[in-house]
Amino acid sequence: MDREAVPASLVQFASLDSLINLARANSLWPMTFGLACCAIEMMCTGGSRYDISRFGAEVFRPSPRQSDVMIVAGTINKKLELAVKTLYDQMPEPKWVIAMGNCAISGGPFKLPCNYNVVEGADQLFPVDVYIPGCPPRPEALLEGILALEEKITGTRRWPRVEPL
Amino acid sequence: MEHIQDIQELQASLISLFSALDDEAAGENVTSPATISLDHVRSGANLERLCRPEQLPAAAGILDDQSFMLESITGVDRLEQQEFELWYDFIHTGIPGYRVVLRCTLPREEAELPSLCALYPAANWHEREVFDFFGIRFADHPDLTRILLPEDADFYPLRKDYTP
Amino acid sequence: MNLARQHYEETFVLNLGPQHPATHGVLRVKVTMDGEYVIKAEPVLGYIHRMHEKIAEQGSFAQFMPYTARMDYLHALAFNHGYCLAVERAAGIEVPERAEYIRVITVELNRVASHLLWWAAFLLDLGGFTPLLYAFDDREKVVDLLERVTGSRLTYCYFRFGGVCHDVDEEFITGTRAFIERLRKRLPTMYHSLVTGNIILIKRIKDIGFISREQCRRYGASGPVARGSGIDFDVRRHEPYSVYPELEFDVPVYPEGDSMARYMVRMDEIEQSLRIIEQALDKLPDGPIMAKVPRNLKPEAGSCYAAVETARGSLGHRLICDGGAKPYRLKLRSPTFSNLSLYGEVAEGMMIADALAFLGSLDLVIPEIDR
Repeated sequence: MDREAVPASLVQFASLDSLINLARANSLWPMTFGLACCAIEMMCTGGSRYDISRFGAEVFRPSPRQSDVMIVAGTINKKLELAVKTLYDQMPEPKWVIAMGNCAISGGPFKLPCNYNVVEGADQLFPVDVYIPGCPPRPEALLEGILALEEKITGTRRWPRVEPL
Repeated sequence: MEHIQDIQELQASLISLFSALDDEAAGENVTSPATISLDHVRSGANLERLCRPEQLPAAAGILDDQSFMLESITGVDRLEQQEFELWYDFIHTGIPGYRVVLRCTLPREEAELPSLCALYPAANWHEREVFDFFGIRFADHPDLTRILLPEDADFYPLRKDYTP
Repeated sequence: MNLARQHYEETFVLNLGPQHPATHGVLRVKVTMDGEYVIKAEPVLGYIHRMHEKIAEQGSFAQFMPYTARMDYLHALAFNHGYCLAVERAAGIEVPERAEYIRVITVELNRVASHLLWWAAFLLDLGGFTPLLYAFDDREKVVDLLERVTGSRLTYCYFRFGGVCHDVDEEFITGTRAFIERLRKRLPTMYHSLVTGNIILIKRIKDIGFISREQCRRYGASGPVARGSGIDFDVRRHEPYSVYPELEFDVPVYPEGDSMARYMVRMDEIEQSLRIIEQALDKLPDGPIMAKVPRNLKPEAGSCYAAVETARGSLGHRLICDGGAKPYRLKLRSPTFSNLSLYGEVAEGMMIADALAFLGSLDLVIPEIDR
């Protein structure tokens, strides 16, 4: 099926857009939203050793209305489902979602035949841009996820890629 | 040495207080032996008392007087026997490490037993949890609503015959 | 406070959470307020209920092991330990001495990491960001040490029924000794002189959030919350398990019952944990790290209770077996579930800022409450 390209805004300025995207990609403001174990690794990433501010993403905002990226760090269950969806809806455009950890990807270890309460993946609720596997992912993995998101926004990778051994 | 004596004294006095409960209800068919001394190393508790549901507040009252603390309430679904089983774990605060278990069974249909909230506020949340998981009702509970599952859930997940 | 209660028609309901920076995860507290005063606080749980008790009934005994770490991820090894203890008690498994010592060393290291993180998060609640950077710096050292033996940074699955799965090496031992020395130096100079004696901290938490001894007993509170209210109860000391009876340590007890007392209990516990680790390293015997345990564990029918002391209090497992290869029922008595249940009663009449400082002083880990 042919799809018409949807313009990002009504009037487009090609070079200005890419400049703005460069600014956006290097100042992603995540939402302070820890759900479970992964949130601790998210805190570690914000700590002095891994220092997320090297990539401009250290400004954790408590309010969804001030944030650009939602890092879903943990399990979403049936009771929380609505709250998370509301938070996503409250974020202003443009907005991105990182699913951090196996629970946010697919329900992870809780995706079982006896599952009665866990939502099997954040992408059942809203679109997800970057998936970071791990239980929990290491802080390096979260940083790589943020770099991957930057690449998605600007189309180019500013930081050198570490090739797997 | 005094410490050990205390435990033995406590154990003896609890056994006699518990048996007094049975005397009050003499005439009715009482399951015996109702009070069992346990080996702490093997079972993690010192004394187990089998209660009928209506004896529960009185038995908990005895423990309350002796400055026990309610640690947890465990519901168990014995599907084969068509029974629910409840385990109340108490620990002494003066002689920490001395544990007493109250156990009672009740039929699976229309399961209801008295609440301990008036004696132990700790029971409030634990009883709500048992209600949430098994659908066992507690009479006179101030707020018997779901605690962990969503309010609109219509199932009791820890029942053995439950499949999602 | 009575003055505040006279104007009921002026009240409003404030919804804290489930997404709120001060609730440490997804706790929700429905607070009825009169101006700045809390009239009624009602915690709402279940936003991270992950069915652990149901999952335990589905697989074999060993298959539940990894899940234990995901309940209290800050003190995951204590949850490993508690579950192992319950199964070992039910199946009558003896653990070799070296394994017991390794268990104690790693559990205590994990306790230090947990308290450091609590310290950082608590001060973050009170508005201080810098301490977080210091505490995480030290915590990373512990995480590295534990990663070396367990293979993971946070959600450990290191203990096995009858022992542990990897032996510790020389590098771990020297690294741990170096860490003890480092933290001992930093505790008085940095943690205490920078923060504990700080007038702002004292004003925020001294005489705030008073919990009485009797309240602790009636609500079943344990751990630093009970010890901060003068109840001398530590499972490691009073219901000894593993090799704790062979190690010397004090149980810090503060009778004041306010948030400062709970703060001090935890700070003192860090020192005591370092003491325990040091002794255990000195005494670490040679020998096997695993007992001979049948591959398919089938404990005989019956029930047992096992308690361990986690960083947050007494964790109990009531394990009911029916002679099969799966647990018939596993009840997890998590310490914070009981500790939080007294929140409503104590927070009544407080100012909202104090109520949040008090909430932080309880050291909550929400997945452990909801299980």
